[in-house]
Amino acid sequence: MVSWVSSSGPHPQTGHNLQTEKRTQALFTIALAGNPNCGKSTVFNALTGARQHVGNWPGKTVEKKEGVFQFHGREIGIVDLPGTYSLTAYSPEEIIARDFIVDDKPDVVVVVMDATNLERNLYLMVQVLELGSPVAIALNISDVAEARGIRIDRERLSALLGDVPVTRTVGTRKQGIEELVASALEAGIPQAGGFKVDYGAEIEEELAKLEGLAHEHPNIVHWFDPRWLAIKLLENESDVVERVAEMPGGSQLTAAARGSIAHLEAVYGDDVDIAIADRRYGYISGLTRQVVKHTRPDRVLISDRVDRIVANRVLGIPLFLMMMYVVFRLVQDVSAPFLDWVDGVVSGPISNWSLWLVSEIGAPLWLRSLIVDGAIAGVGSVLAFLPGLVVLYFFMAWLEDSGYLARAAFVMDRFMRMLGLHGKSFIPLVLGFGCGVPAIYATRTLENHRDRILTGLLVPLMSCSARLPVYVVFGLAFFGAYADRLIWGMYALGIIMAVFAGALLSRTVLQGDRDAAFVLELPPYRMPALKGLLIHTWERSSGFVKKAGTLILGVTILLWFALNLPWGVANQQDSLFGRASAVIAPVFAPLGFGDWQAAGSLMSGFIAKEIVVSTMSQTYGVAGAGDAEPVERPDFGRDLLNIVTGFFEAVWNAFKSLVSIIPGINLTESGGEIEDTKLSAALRTAFSPLAALAFVAFVLLYVPCVATLAAIRHEYGSRWAVFATGYQLALAWLVAFAIYQGGRLLAMG
Amino acid sequence: MTPLSLAPAGEPLTVVDVRAGKRLRQRLADLGLTVGTVIQVVPGIGHGPVILSIGDTRLALGKGASHKVMVRPVSAGRS
Repeated sequence: MVSWVSSSGPHPQTGHNLQTEKRTQALFTIALAGNPNCGKSTVFNALTGARQHVGNWPGKTVEKKEGVFQFHGREIGIVDLPGTYSLTAYSPEEIIARDFIVDDKPDVVVVVMDATNLERNLYLMVQVLELGSPVAIALNISDVAEARGIRIDRERLSALLGDVPVTRTVGTRKQGIEELVASALEAGIPQAGGFKVDYGAEIEEELAKLEGLAHEHPNIVHWFDPRWLAIKLLENESDVVERVAEMPGGSQLTAAARGSIAHLEAVYGDDVDIAIADRRYGYISGLTRQVVKHTRPDRVLISDRVDRIVANRVLGIPLFLMMMYVVFRLVQDVSAPFLDWVDGVVSGPISNWSLWLVSEIGAPLWLRSLIVDGAIAGVGSVLAFLPGLVVLYFFMAWLEDSGYLARAAFVMDRFMRMLGLHGKSFIPLVLGFGCGVPAIYATRTLENHRDRILTGLLVPLMSCSARLPVYVVFGLAFFGAYADRLIWGMYALGIIMAVFAGALLSRTVLQGDRDAAFVLELPPYRMPALKGLLIHTWERSSGFVKKAGTLILGVTILLWFALNLPWGVANQQDSLFGRASAVIAPVFAPLGFGDWQAAGSLMSGFIAKEIVVSTMSQTYGVAGAGDAEPVERPDFGRDLLNIVTGFFEAVWNAFKSLVSIIPGINLTESGGEIEDTKLSAALRTAFSPLAALAFVAFVLLYVPCVATLAAIRHEYGSRWAVFATGYQLALAWLVAFAIYQGGRLLAMG
Repeated sequence: MTPLSLAPAGEPLTVVDVRAGKRLRQRLADLGLTVGTVIQVVPGIGHGPVILSIGDTRLALGKGASHKVMVRPVSAGRS
């Protein structure tokens, strides 16, 4: 008997958007459940067409994703549950998935199963069936299974599970999706007794007792399937036990369950939950034997051959380092020509056109200055780095989707232990090279709270892509041909500081179980789908463009005002911003950069580290559009032609450097024009090379940007956000101090 | 009976015991590693940390975890 057939009625949880819609429109709701790496996201995408990341590393879909689609004129809501192996309350993802099924009572749960790995996937399946809700099965990745000679008797599987519809699907090619939805719409309530795992006489006896007791409490049976509840109570699952205990009459049930557990443990001499899991596995392996036929004998998977090299104890780490080197080399070499191009377009035609436009409409001088010196110079200096980011995000997505990142985590496990972490923390840290925000959220895949916090505190030390503009500008201004070494040096410094900080923090404020076991499923290697990579790259890059268009634009405009207030101030140094910066500037004097401009750029860089560059382009007086001279009408045709030909030149140059990646073309060869910008010249007069080095190191290490800090606060609480800010400021100051003062001593000695 | 970390690679092994705390045992059970399961150690990785195969699934176990899983060769029979 199942008590939640109808989806109407009062509801304890209110946070779900679909729920409110459901009440008014009786929206049919499908919940998608499945293991990580079973292709659940591809099925979700095929159904909704939503832009969503398709990936390969464990615990991918932590966020709840919802969508609505039309099926033969009918509106259907769909909720993508987190990918889990089980519905025990082992991780937050499992609790989210289970609570959604129990509390939100979707009309049907579609369980997506990896057909190449039916046995493992059935474990979750069985638990969903035990919950008693209507179920439809998608046998996904069927094409690969068939190619490997795995035959699954779908009719038999369906019959053995109590007439649950089973549909063959290939999510990546949208095969079987229509049939899946049709079967899901018809999936009925499981027949009472149609599906049942036999847990053996002893356990069944206790289950029957608890079930009978549960039936005496209609309020409890209204929420929970009695058999499922009995199983969970025997498994002693703490959150279910607590919830039941709070219900009227619940304490009677939990007391009875404690008695049953004591009795069973005496019989089995083992934990009851382990005995139950063993029985479930026994059932599943029996089921698998009945429905799966291997037409070909087991063979060594190609993936194993690759792993012999990639995951090898000796070769693994050097291979990983080489891989990272090639990726970052590609990022530099391929993006450099485009960087030139964007920079040229923004500072050339776009600035000229806007200048002409604002003077044509007779805008006052100050407005001209605001638009050209403030907005365009500021946003443009940041936007110029978009090509590099696009390339970086593309390769990061490739590493992630190919399945390599999970191997890297395995290989790096030993190394990570030195930081007081384990291998899985490595994935968020690598993502940190892209952007700190998704990296912080990726720490959710770690199992214990202390590991999450420690990893989250180290993520900001990984040099994210926003810091790259600062290195490039300073590198080209001071180190010319050696600019790329400065960049490499900064990445290395960040990693070294993470090792140092990790070792220190794990021995002081975040002591924990340093022997926590490393267990990770390795997804099969896959050639990442180009579409998935592009979607992923687009999502992250467009996020950056949005940031440039909103946050960075806003800050540069505010900054322009702060630099020009009180109104008519003759000297930037006397402006609001100049005076505020001058107050904190002395703090940086021992680090070699005590002028107000440097202090000011660091202050505004807290919003986003790219802003350090755009602030400098305003404060070091690079702009000069405030002149009253009449502006000539630009030659639009010629400018447009230059933009287009410039783009193709950049494509050609990028292609050339891609071909000759080893030995790579030097960054400066194509970046020569940047070296001569006014900003470079201004920086060379303001900083000594040693001070420049200290400054760049400071930018690397000081406070995470506002967005990362918000993520830290959201994930670990305000206390840790304050801690992160404090410890990084201290670290940055000390390192910059050591570089500057140490360098001076060496130069003198 | 040997711990997985020292078991011969490339031959079928039966899991005899998982000598770990409740959490780790539950975790391994969720991933399909329970007493009685037949597994293989993927060769060529090195000793200590292992990659093992259960059907087409590949699990990576760190040194700590692989010391706690006790196995014996399938060919050794039930003795």
